[in-house]
Amino acid sequence: MRLADRIAPALLVLMTLFVFILLYGPLMVPIVSSFFTVSHGAVDWSQPTTSAYVALAANEGVLNALWTTLVVGSGAVVCSVVLGTGIALYYTSPNAKGRGFLQFIIFLPFLMPPIITGLALLIFFRQVEFERSLVTIIIGHTVFVLALVYRTILTRLQSLSGSLVEASYDLGASRWQTFRLVLLPNLSSAMVGAAVLAFALSFDETMITLLVTGTQSTLPVRLWAMMRLGFTPDINALVALVLLFTTALCLIAVRFLMPKSAVAGSDED
Amino acid sequence: MNEAGVLLKLRSVSKSYGATAILHDIDLDVRDGEFITILGPSGSGKTTILRLIGGFTKPSGGEILLDGRDIAAMPINQRPFNTVFQDYALFPHLTVEGNVGYGLAVRGTPRAEIAKRVADALELVQLGPLGKRFPAQLSGGQRQRVALARAIICRPRLILLDEPLAALDVELRRHMQSFLKSIQTEIRTTFLFVTHDQEEAIAMADRICVMNGGRIQQIGSPHEVYYRPSCEFVAKFFGENNLIPGTLGPTDGKTRSIDTAAGRVICAVDGQPDMAAAPEGSPAFAVCRPEAVTIGDDAAGENRFPVSIGQVAFAGASTMATATALDDPGLSLKARMPSRPGGASLRPGDTVTFVVPASTCRLVPA
Amino acid sequence: MSSRVADAGVEAPAAHPSPSRLVPWFAALAAYAVPIWFVLAPMALFLGYSFFSVDKGNIVFTPTVANYVRFFTDPVFLPIFWRTCLLCLAVAVLCVLFAFPVAYFLTTLRGRRRYVLLVLLLVPLLMSYVIKIYAVRSILGGNGMLNRALLATGLIDKPSMLFVFNLNAVLLTLTVLLIPFAVLPIFLSLERIPKALRHASADLGASNAQTFWRVTVPLSLPGTLSAMSFVFVLAIGDFLTPQMVGGQSGFTFGRIIYSQFGTAFNWPFGAALSVILAAVVIIAIRLGGRVESSRGRIQ
Repeated sequence: MRLADRIAPALLVLMTLFVFILLYGPLMVPIVSSFFTVSHGAVDWSQPTTSAYVALAANEGVLNALWTTLVVGSGAVVCSVVLGTGIALYYTSPNAKGRGFLQFIIFLPFLMPPIITGLALLIFFRQVEFERSLVTIIIGHTVFVLALVYRTILTRLQSLSGSLVEASYDLGASRWQTFRLVLLPNLSSAMVGAAVLAFALSFDETMITLLVTGTQSTLPVRLWAMMRLGFTPDINALVALVLLFTTALCLIAVRFLMPKSAVAGSDED
Repeated sequence: MNEAGVLLKLRSVSKSYGATAILHDIDLDVRDGEFITILGPSGSGKTTILRLIGGFTKPSGGEILLDGRDIAAMPINQRPFNTVFQDYALFPHLTVEGNVGYGLAVRGTPRAEIAKRVADALELVQLGPLGKRFPAQLSGGQRQRVALARAIICRPRLILLDEPLAALDVELRRHMQSFLKSIQTEIRTTFLFVTHDQEEAIAMADRICVMNGGRIQQIGSPHEVYYRPSCEFVAKFFGENNLIPGTLGPTDGKTRSIDTAAGRVICAVDGQPDMAAAPEGSPAFAVCRPEAVTIGDDAAGENRFPVSIGQVAFAGASTMATATALDDPGLSLKARMPSRPGGASLRPGDTVTFVVPASTCRLVPA
Repeated sequence: MSSRVADAGVEAPAAHPSPSRLVPWFAALAAYAVPIWFVLAPMALFLGYSFFSVDKGNIVFTPTVANYVRFFTDPVFLPIFWRTCLLCLAVAVLCVLFAFPVAYFLTTLRGRRRYVLLVLLLVPLLMSYVIKIYAVRSILGGNGMLNRALLATGLIDKPSMLFVFNLNAVLLTLTVLLIPFAVLPIFLSLERIPKALRHASADLGASNAQTFWRVTVPLSLPGTLSAMSFVFVLAIGDFLTPQMVGGQSGFTFGRIIYSQFGTAFNWPFGAALSVILAAVVIIAIRLGGRVESSRGRIQ
């Protein structure tokens, strides 16, 4: 009679395990094969080697792409955090106009498929005769990550008690002092978390970049071009490094954004 | 082996989480058809008793006997009990009818019968026309009634109510108290009601089980726990009371004297064999309710305390006088008297006599 | 800039009246400038473009609905459009089928373990999309892991072409890629169901299976539907996956749009196709959020 109650949990564990294999298993293939050589489309498992990594260090195209990615990422992070904070502050201010409309515009690039955002920007840049360059990529990425950054900071801002600001005024602080001494310290961890998240998103963004880029290519775009040619140790080595980097970014973002109670663990009953 | 009239027996039931003991050695009989209230401050273990009976947690020790059979291992869904949860736990995705009929539906009852019984149950709780509404569209009192209807429709042998009135405002709570009581009388089902509100317990229960610190302090009728407390905690738990410390003197079987700093006090001990049998010289309290105190030299009563009035507080229907015993300046005594339109005749500083008949004076161990 | 931010963000108390009535307008202007210039304007222009046409490589700025007429009458586009919708719907269903048990399992865990596992499920979300496609392709290929595993176990005797460079490969790849997106909303909706409701169900005599089907599943429906719409939207907008694993036969709507801006070089028509894509996306988002508002909510 209780048989079903016993089988169900076991099935759940198996399903979860299977999904984990689906998510992480494929990633292991390029990582593991990056330490071996490939000849005629087959991996030679006999001799582990780091030659692919050494070759990567000398690959100009990849190094340039990496540099472009970092510049774009930093640019997008700075723009989106400044904008996101400003708009979040505006949104919570009592005399803000058209809050819903403003929020709708900000969320559009996040809700719409990236291909639409990318194409819209592509047409726009052409129409206003704005040369496609690093700047256009940064704009594209900023517009894309803005929704997330804005939302993260707004959530923190709304969780702050309104009396905090009133108390600051009550004690004689000016608006600027209140922002710098009261709001900013309370927002900083959300801003850092949002920045890390924005950087991670920008680091991986491919579809918009493909459309708004000029001659530069970011790392994912470069990878995309390389991958269409086939399965090579260089790509695998690059894949392994990128995965390592994004995983580290994720863990940092989690540290800043995870509610403290969740990290500490909340057990009841 | 099942005594007539006893539905459920708890025998030395205990519960602990890790090293923290929540319940110690609970012995409790729930009688068939009674309205029993488990009363205690928060953290006293009262809700744990309900959860143990309902099957939501398992006891660490002892037995819970239904018809002489231990049900500690019986799954929740097979117990012939239903629960009215503290926050009602109504299913938000089901209508009132869906909620009330849930217990019948999961048992495979035919639709026509479910519809009929749901209509009857809603009629009983006076929610007839609201069957198609969702819980989110109901007021607190209405949700309360839905939860009650949902619990009674399967005709359980016992209904567990976990502080069901706590979320309601005072006026609605008074109304729901008498409503619950009338429903219980009508369907003649045993109610086990958990609350932290003494007045609520007194107003509704046939018997009250007073809990503190995971132990049962006293089980008795509302009248008994109010006027004949068995311990200091119960004596202090129900409203204002006078406790006069002293040591036990001799007894004649019906009354017993206690020597206090304010003189010898004579107390009734009928129905309290423990107090009658306690050795002489052991510490105890003489206990009497402020409303049992009469004021004036000519009043009749064995125990007389000359006092100096400290404070006179008007509280609507009654007026409370707080005084200090002249023989023991450390002893504060209270007397409650009916208020008069002209105001109390007592003034702070007046010297009067508090008179307490032995029949209204009781002993509790210190 | 910074002082503008402070002006905008905090309410001026009566004792500190605004120095000028222009401040709110200035703040509004600053807050709206970038979103309007770089989001709204491009999108509006984009919509406008869909009503233009192209002649010998030059864009003709005369309004016409020819692009839309072409989409609905041409024998090529409509079938691919429907096939893509169906494909993405299948991806959404598959993702939910995989994600639901995982999300449910997460809710049975306590405290720290639950969140560690959740983070592990969400980490792939931030991993490079291109890399994930590449990784899955290395498994699916004719000479990939899956085929070799099947050969090794003797289930097949020559490499199967069922999932090599076709729509099946797109379906499988998208499913693997998008499962984490489905886990999160389902987990959140399951987590929001109060334990008391499951207790109440058992208390009223329901078995675990009855409680699951009568309480847990209906109450997680909003999360499940938003998971489906989420996955659908992500899948239908993707043109990288079909391009990488779809081969010649795995042609999808996203690829067609992309090709209008590359090889075909017909921007107005591409814009019109994108507007249709946007319409589908909006419908999907609407459907995904519907149930939440029309039914009773958990307080």
